[in-house]
Amino acid sequence: MSLQNCYNFDDFRKLAKKKLPSPIFHYIDGGADDEITLKRNTKSFDECDLVPNILASVGKPDLSTTIFGKKIDMPLFLSPCAMQRLYHHDGDKASARAADKFGTFYSMSTMANNTIEEISNISGGPKLFQLYVHKDQSITDDLIDRCRRSGFDGMCLTVDTLVAGNRERDHRTGFTTPPKLTLQSLMSFALHPSWVFNYLTHGKFKLANVATKTDKGTNIAKSVIEYINEQYDPAMNWKDAEYCVKKWNGPFALKGVMSVEDAKRAIDIGCTAIMISNHGGRQLDGSRSPFDQVKAISDAVGDKLEIILDGGVRRGTHVLKAIAAGAKACSFGKMFLFSLAAGGQQGVEHLLKNMHEEINRNMVLMGCKNLKELNSSKLIYRTSNKI
Amino acid sequence: MIMRLKDCHNFGDFRKLAKLKLPSPIFHYIDGAADDEITYARNTSAFDDVDLVPNVLRGVENVDLSTTIFGKKLDLPFYLSPTALQRLFHYDGERAVGKAAKKFNTMFGVSALATVSVEEISSLIDTPKMFQFYFHKDRGLNDSCLERAKAANFDVMALTVDTITGGNRERDLRTGFTSPPKLTLSSLFSFATKPMWGINYLTKGKFELPHLQDFVKEGTSTNSSIGNYFSTMLDQSMNWKDAEKLCSQWGGHFALKGIMSVEDAKKAVDIGCTGIMVSNHGGRQLDGSRSPFDQLAEIVDAVGDKLDVICEGGIHRGTHMLKALSLGAKACSGGRLYLYALAAAGQPGVERALELYKSELVRDMKLMGCTKISDLNRNNLRFRK
Repeated sequence: MSLQNCYNFDDFRKLAKKKLPSPIFHYIDGGADDEITLKRNTKSFDECDLVPNILASVGKPDLSTTIFGKKIDMPLFLSPCAMQRLYHHDGDKASARAADKFGTFYSMSTMANNTIEEISNISGGPKLFQLYVHKDQSITDDLIDRCRRSGFDGMCLTVDTLVAGNRERDHRTGFTTPPKLTLQSLMSFALHPSWVFNYLTHGKFKLANVATKTDKGTNIAKSVIEYINEQYDPAMNWKDAEYCVKKWNGPFALKGVMSVEDAKRAIDIGCTAIMISNHGGRQLDGSRSPFDQVKAISDAVGDKLEIILDGGVRRGTHVLKAIAAGAKACSFGKMFLFSLAAGGQQGVEHLLKNMHEEINRNMVLMGCKNLKELNSSKLIYRTSNKI
Repeated sequence: MIMRLKDCHNFGDFRKLAKLKLPSPIFHYIDGAADDEITYARNTSAFDDVDLVPNVLRGVENVDLSTTIFGKKLDLPFYLSPTALQRLFHYDGERAVGKAAKKFNTMFGVSALATVSVEEISSLIDTPKMFQFYFHKDRGLNDSCLERAKAANFDVMALTVDTITGGNRERDLRTGFTSPPKLTLSSLFSFATKPMWGINYLTKGKFELPHLQDFVKEGTSTNSSIGNYFSTMLDQSMNWKDAEKLCSQWGGHFALKGIMSVEDAKKAVDIGCTGIMVSNHGGRQLDGSRSPFDQLAEIVDAVGDKLDVICEGGIHRGTHMLKALSLGAKACSGGRLYLYALAAAGQPGVERALELYKSELVRDMKLMGCTKISDLNRNNLRFRK
């Protein structure tokens, strides 16, 4: 199995599984509780169908879209994901460079292992920063100020992690950050010596953006769950979100909006975008999938803010369906993390190339010249089958 | 284990026997579809969301399965879709399929990528014939196809409109399927384990694409994947004007194959088509696209009185055909429907498949309380949702 043989999600996932110690693989691969929502996120795309138009002489379709004030070359970008250095020793640098190459957004997590400044130095491409509201407000303020100075284009505030989800795979594998050697994980680390070698020889693991402010997650081995529960402010409310919107004073999204009502409130506090997301099924199991909800939200607020669908996206046709249902773009985490683990920057580039080809091919087969033509008339939900 | 033709009682059995006989790249070329094969699966499962409601005490000893499409009366309400490269599946290829179709007096579709020429087919069978046409960049090739099909007395011309670029057939990427087959290290084993296929392929006449080979090397003397062929040889700028021109150039029954939207079905009427195949190319092109059966009612409602609407794709059973015909399709058609049987046993295989589907249709018509195809209507159906 090599990167060249990776054509789809399962291929990247398999290769990542081979390369990663199992606690780390399962941290990416797992979801909350019984992982019902995790599965539904992808499955939901299969209950409606695209209806192509023929003889449309499409030529080379225009795949560009504009989000966070930036025109991007394809309607799919990299979701913010924490601790990418666990998956490949180049971490965020690899993802940022790959996204830049394909003219789409790279997103940086508050819990990245590279600093805002480092990434800004290596990538002139579109960049989104993902913010958590910390109990200590000076941490939040510092992050916003640094992003502005470093030329980040947009900011998103994650609102679905007030407490950590019940990720049972992590309980079983004993996943912590930085990785802790336990008797039960010893075997799995021992079986992946090249990962261990790279991990230990490519600079110290740290939560680079918050390292000066807290030693949690950097010097003391903590489960992510404990970190979230200790550092993030569970009392965060609409006022706090509005504070961040004002302080940033630029393109701003709430990440993790699922209800129409909350989408409307996002407009009221000045957001320019929302990311419909259930955190990749990693927080509240049994919650609705982004694709199941996107049409209702788009019908209500699609003309007032940019809708980004985050979660379950594995195929070009998923992106097409999301756009036909009213999204302006999609983002994905798991799939790109697997490609990162599978081959670093080269892996992410291979994935983005595949996805670009799929979106392009499917637009041609749909008979659509640009994303605007991909409207709700091209999508039929099966429940409407009646005679 | 299915080992012999007489053990084949349904679609799945023919598929198993075909798998046993074919080198795996060739089997998977037939068996596979685009991306995650969601649409391929839906093409068949769509039939399961609707139920037949029988009528009793109707006196059904004689059942007439005949239907008329493109001005031709067929003894069966289904026919054999045009499919490419049939001599890869069995050395007799189109000869076997054509003769079987003749025996049952149904339409035989011949692909532009056929491995037996229209002239030879025409000399073998006098029953209804359809020529399937790809719009190539090379206009000389296009004209030649049309002229030869006309000279060979083909009854219908079908222009395929859903292959404007090649679908993402991942099984072919993994097996390295090309036409003509290329021996690679990874496929060597699978060819070696099916020696009869190899012997027949090499000894029963040269593999050719007789409609194309005067114009292109791809597919005959140079190896090409089908996806690559579509993407590089076909004219991606093809539009409604081109289709209209072909329609009048042909001057007879003309169909568009691969229509899925109501809007396009109406345009097909406008440019003079006498039929359309509601089809997604057997799920082999755009995964996530709608299944023909799901979309059939809307299209029949819009244009069913103006041209022949054919439901193509996903059909494995006589009851599937009854459901499509009840919704208003004039006929059904399928490719895998007979290709597995061709690979399993050549002409006797295809004949056995046609006999099975025919007897299923007769049995199911009787159970439904219907004696002729026009007895079927939407009162026979209930959708679950």
